[in-house]
Amino acid sequence: MTTSARGRGYTDPIMGGVALGLLLFGAIMLAGRGLGASGAFASGAAAAVHTVAPKAAEAHPYLSAWIPTGRRGLVGEWIVLELLGVVAGAWLSARLAGRLHRGVETVAAEGKRGRLVQALIGGTLMGGGARLAHGCTSGLALTGGALLATGAWLFIPVAFGAAFLTAYLMRRVAA
Amino acid sequence: MMAPLYDLPAGVLAIPVGFAFGVILERVGLGSARTITQQLVARDFTVITVMFSAIVTAMLGVFWADHLGWLDLSRVTLPSTDMVPQLIGALLFGAGFAIASLCPGTACVSAATGKGDGLVTIGGLFLGTLVTSLFWPQLGALAERAPHDNATLPVDLHLPVGIVVAAITILGVATLFMAGRLQGGRAPFRVSPLAAIALALGVLAAATGRATLASAATLRQIGAEIDSGSDHVDAIALAEWIRARKPHLRIVDVRDDLAADDYRIPGAEEVPLQRIAALSVRPSDTIVIYSDGGGHAAQAWLILRQRGVATAYVLRDGLEAWEDEIMAPRRPDSTDAVAVARFQYVRELASFFGGRPSNERAAPRRNGADSLAKTAPAPPKRRKAC
Repeated sequence: MTTSARGRGYTDPIMGGVALGLLLFGAIMLAGRGLGASGAFASGAAAAVHTVAPKAAEAHPYLSAWIPTGRRGLVGEWIVLELLGVVAGAWLSARLAGRLHRGVETVAAEGKRGRLVQALIGGTLMGGGARLAHGCTSGLALTGGALLATGAWLFIPVAFGAAFLTAYLMRRVAA
Repeated sequence: MMAPLYDLPAGVLAIPVGFAFGVILERVGLGSARTITQQLVARDFTVITVMFSAIVTAMLGVFWADHLGWLDLSRVTLPSTDMVPQLIGALLFGAGFAIASLCPGTACVSAATGKGDGLVTIGGLFLGTLVTSLFWPQLGALAERAPHDNATLPVDLHLPVGIVVAAITILGVATLFMAGRLQGGRAPFRVSPLAAIALALGVLAAATGRATLASAATLRQIGAEIDSGSDHVDAIALAEWIRARKPHLRIVDVRDDLAADDYRIPGAEEVPLQRIAALSVRPSDTIVIYSDGGGHAAQAWLILRQRGVATAYVLRDGLEAWEDEIMAPRRPDSTDAVAVARFQYVRELASFFGGRPSNERAAPRRNGADSLAKTAPAPPKRRKAC
C-alpha cells in the first residue's frame, strides 16, 4: 500500500470524480453532448489526408465523413476545441500545483526508450480500437455510461478486462 | 427554456468544458501514467474511483433533469452501440491502454504537463486512427455493420429506466466502497454523505416507475414542432439546399417497392419506412424525408424524431410538390411583379435539375430522369464522434 501513486498532492478521487460527473452533466445540459477525446484524432486524421489529397479524402468511405466542414476547418470542430481546452487546463493545473516537469515518465523497469516504444504501440492500438468501438474512455465509457448507452456498458468491462489482463501478462512491476 | 441550449457557438462551450476536464484529470493524478499502471496492477484505485463516481453523478443528474422535464434527451448525442466491432475495438483499446498506461484524454494531459511519453502516445493515437481510417474499406464485414444510435440499457434489457439507474448507483457505490477499502488509508466515513445522497437519488429513481428516459419532455417538444410547422421544408428550399450543396444534407426516399426507373430526387437514399428506425444518423446531418404525398414521410419523421433526430424535415406535399414546383413550374396567371420574379427564380432553379418550366401546366414526370441523379451526389454519412 505504501507504493501508491497517491500522496503527491492529488485531489481525492471521489471528489474529483464527482466534479467530473457534474462537468459531464453540465456539458449535456448546455451543449447536448458529453466529453470526448478520440474523435478529435479522427477529425485530425481526416483533415490531414484532406490537405494532402483532397479528392482521395472526399471519395474515401470513412474519412470523408470526418472532414471538418465548417468555415474554420479543424478548429471549428467541437471535439477539437474541447481537446485544446483539455491541454490548456491540464497545463495550468500542473503549473499551479508545481507538477510541470519535462521528461519521460517511466512506469516500471522498462527504461526511457522502452517506455516510449510502449507509448507508441499502446497509442496505436488505442487509436485503432477507438475507431472500431465508436469511442474511447471519455466519449464512450464516461459519457455513454452516464447516458445508459448499451455500447458503453459493453465497452467498460471488456476494455478494462483486456487492460487488467494485458498488465498482468506484462508482469508489470510498478516503479 | 429547456436544456440543452444549443444556440451557442462551439468554442463558447467546447473550450471551457475541455479546460475543466483537463484541470480535473490533472488534479486527480490521471495525467500520470504511473497512476494508471498502479490501477492496472491493483495497487491504486484512482482510475476506477474517478470513473464510477463521475458516471454515477452524471447519470443521476441526467435522470432527474429528464424526469423533471428540464432536459430534452432526444437532443443529446448518445454514443453508438455496434456490438461486434465494439467488442473487438474494446479489446484492442484495453490492451493499448495497459501498454501505454494512458488513454486518449489522459495522454493529452500527460503531454500538456511536459511528459514525452504522453506526446508519443498522442503520436501513436494519430497513427492508429489514420491507418484504421485509411484501411476502413478493407475491414470488410467489421466496418459494414450499422451502429444503433439509440440503444440504451433499459430498452435492451427490458427493464424500467428507474431500476437500471438504481442498480448502477448501488453497483457504483459498492465499487467505490470496495476500492476505498482496498486502497487503505482513506477513512470510508469521509465519503458517506455523498454516497448517501447518491443512494437516495438512485433508489428514488426506481420509485418513479419511469419506463424509459426521454418521454414527457420529448413528446412535448415534438408536439410543439409539429404545431409550428418547423418540421417541414418546401420543395424550393430543398432545391436550394441541393444546389448549394448544403453540408451533410441527406435526402431520404421512404417509398416502397421503387422500380429502377422511378424518378427520385437527386442524391436521395432509399430507406423504406420499415427500415427507418435503424437509419444511422449523425448529429450534423440534415435529413429531408419524402414520399409521394407526404403521409409516409410524416410517419418516418415521427419515428426519427422520437429516436432523437432533431434535424429531420418532411418535404411539404412530397414528390408531388417537387414535380409541380421544380420539375414543371408553371408561369403564374397574374402579371404581378413578385409572382413573375418568383417564377423566373424558380425557372432558373428548375433548369439546374433539368426541369421544364412552361406556360401550361405540364404533366408530372415520374420517369426518365436518370441523368439528373448525377447533379447532386449524396453527402457522405458521418459517423458519431467519440
